[in-house]
Amino acid sequence: MTSNSANIKKAKVESSSSGVKMQTINLNAWFGTKQALKDINVSFKTNAVTAIIGPSGCGKSTLIRCLNRMHELVPDSRFSGQVFLDGENVYAPGVDPVMIRRRVGMVFQKPNPFPTMSIYDNVAAGLKLTGARKGRDLDKVVRWSLEQATLWDEVKDDLKKAGTSISGGQQQRLCIARAIALQPEVILMDEPCSALDPIATAKIEELIVKLKEEYTVVIVTHNMQQAARVSDFTAFLYLGQLIEYGHTSAVFENPKNELTEKYITGKFG
Amino acid sequence: MSRLLDVGLEQLTVMVYRMGEVAEKAVDVSVRGFMNGKDATAAVREFSDILAAMTVEVENKAFELIVKYQPVASDLRIINSYMKIAYDFERYGRYAWDISFTHKKLTGLEKCIHPPDTIQKLIDTVCEMVSKSVQALKHNDGEMAKSLASTERKADELYFAYLDQIAETTTQDKCVMCNLLVSRFLERIADHTTYVGEAIVYISTGEKISLR
Amino acid sequence: MINNYVFRKVKNRLFFVLCLACVVIAVIPLLSILYEVVSRGAPFLSLQFLTNDALHGGIGPAIQGTLILIGLTSLIGIPVGILSGVYLAEFGDNKYASFLRAINDVLTEFPSIVVGITAYSVVVIGLIGSYSPIAGAVALSIMLVPIVARTTDESLKLVPNSVREASLALGIRKWKTTLRIVVPAAKSGVITGILLATARIAGETAPILLTILGSNYFFQGFRSPMDALPLRIFRDARWDNPRVQAEAWGVALILILIVLSLNIGVRLAARGRFKR
Repeated sequence: MTSNSANIKKAKVESSSSGVKMQTINLNAWFGTKQALKDINVSFKTNAVTAIIGPSGCGKSTLIRCLNRMHELVPDSRFSGQVFLDGENVYAPGVDPVMIRRRVGMVFQKPNPFPTMSIYDNVAAGLKLTGARKGRDLDKVVRWSLEQATLWDEVKDDLKKAGTSISGGQQQRLCIARAIALQPEVILMDEPCSALDPIATAKIEELIVKLKEEYTVVIVTHNMQQAARVSDFTAFLYLGQLIEYGHTSAVFENPKNELTEKYITGKFG
Repeated sequence: MSRLLDVGLEQLTVMVYRMGEVAEKAVDVSVRGFMNGKDATAAVREFSDILAAMTVEVENKAFELIVKYQPVASDLRIINSYMKIAYDFERYGRYAWDISFTHKKLTGLEKCIHPPDTIQKLIDTVCEMVSKSVQALKHNDGEMAKSLASTERKADELYFAYLDQIAETTTQDKCVMCNLLVSRFLERIADHTTYVGEAIVYISTGEKISLR
Repeated sequence: MINNYVFRKVKNRLFFVLCLACVVIAVIPLLSILYEVVSRGAPFLSLQFLTNDALHGGIGPAIQGTLILIGLTSLIGIPVGILSGVYLAEFGDNKYASFLRAINDVLTEFPSIVVGITAYSVVVIGLIGSYSPIAGAVALSIMLVPIVARTTDESLKLVPNSVREASLALGIRKWKTTLRIVVPAAKSGVITGILLATARIAGETAPILLTILGSNYFFQGFRSPMDALPLRIFRDARWDNPRVQAEAWGVALILILIVLSLNIGVRLAARGRFKR
């Protein structure tokens, strides 16, 4: 386990009053003996979209899975360091990971609506199964979530249809609605558009930009143009290390690190 | 590993370098004609036309690369700068033609006595700047580009000096009017070389500086 | 060149014919059994036959017994089997689970007579003191549970992990995820497994031979022997009376009908699943 004690002293926890919703300090993660993340210090600003880019296997997915404590579900996984949500360490002893996951939602690469449930039930699942809501309230929340995900108009007459009977792009928006229904504070997206066609992708990108008004969004993407289009901040990861972080327009116009420059111009893949 | 974009960038670069060479020649030929009382209009006109056509080609090529490859970082800065530089080179050619044309119109075949010292120096300075700008581009030399700032100051001083000179006189000598206009054109060429310098610096550092 | 092609075609044909022949050979015994059972057993089908007790020429007790056994076994075996399968699939990423899974697989192929004598000594002799339907149900459960556990395990494993991840990411706890999301998703596979396992144990003879013994009377309580279809067949087939021997075919037909209807029911349900 490598830790730079100078870094530990330097890095301070920023609270949401300074516009930082989540922050990692000296985050390291392993799968067995293989180290996937090395000393990651990065912050995610409130009500902004942060994109995480980098070549395959650089640790992007691992990083966001550390943010909602999904990394620890993998057998033989380890981590060290701290992750802060609104200034509080989500890995502190006594913190219930399930509670964290309700505040930090996640959308996955391949749309995964619950196969045995209708569209309505899918959106309501999070609420029903976490005991959050019962009864008539549910209808309102389901409608609101689907509207937020810009899916309501397309499915409002078919709420009882199976969640898997709609198109891939719609399924992904359904998954987003499902995540939003719990009213999380942060939405993590792991390559949400990579299984979708360009039109569905465009719809989701518009949705992401709209979502940042209410939520903090972190999106992992291997599509750099997408990162440039939708994000306010960009973090570039390579071989488990954070190489560069900054405003998206600055990173894409004039990156500070040569490695970043090489990656985004496609000089290595 | 050569990217698809690299082929297009190569073509774009060749075009812009060639424009630089043609622009430098245009200024050279027109200035020499002016100094020696020869009519260089036709030759310079040809150069100027070539430059105008090439500007359009460069623009088209640049847009094509942007549409196809969505370039970022240094690639995008290069394309952006080349478009500006192409325009500036076209301006060199245009002002060079203005010099020859004005000279022909105002003095006819009459040979104006050697232009005053100030004008000579201005001509030398501007030719030096034109040459520097093309060299700095070819070698991507940021320092050389930045040095255009000081040379530009010199050009300005010479121009203002000449204006002062004329302010003293009351003559309506056609040669003087011609010199006046020509010095103005030269000063504008000097300005454009600094724009080229700024664009060159932007390519390598991403900074937008002013050399004036 | 042409010769080579023709030769290869012929080889191809031969291979196809050979495979077809093997299939036919395999199927012939089954078809002939079915034919025998149906043709010899059908004459015996009548309401009296099905509802009277042995003294009045019927097999009512045997049918009742088989149904009681299926019921009791399901009661004991299905929950245990399903939950075992759930454990193996959802919590079984360690070496203990692999070990358990291995033992489970062995149990599915365990000699049924051994299960029978175990149930005999533990339940009949040790616990109850007499032949008992409960002992029979225990014996059959011992055979049912491993099969149901295995099929449940396999069905749950077929549910893609992305479904579990989606649920966990919503902050739904693991046990709820398993029971309310994963198991329902594997529902059809689990049910199929249960029905097939039940069809299998309905025809098992050895385990119930030593635990319920067989009887000529209807159900007489949990401390008495009970009849069942396989036992009836076993007894009737060895009876000295040729008429009784012939009757065995009727019993066999009933048993086969029960097993077949369970199997066909599964197939119909499965087809419905795919049509949607």
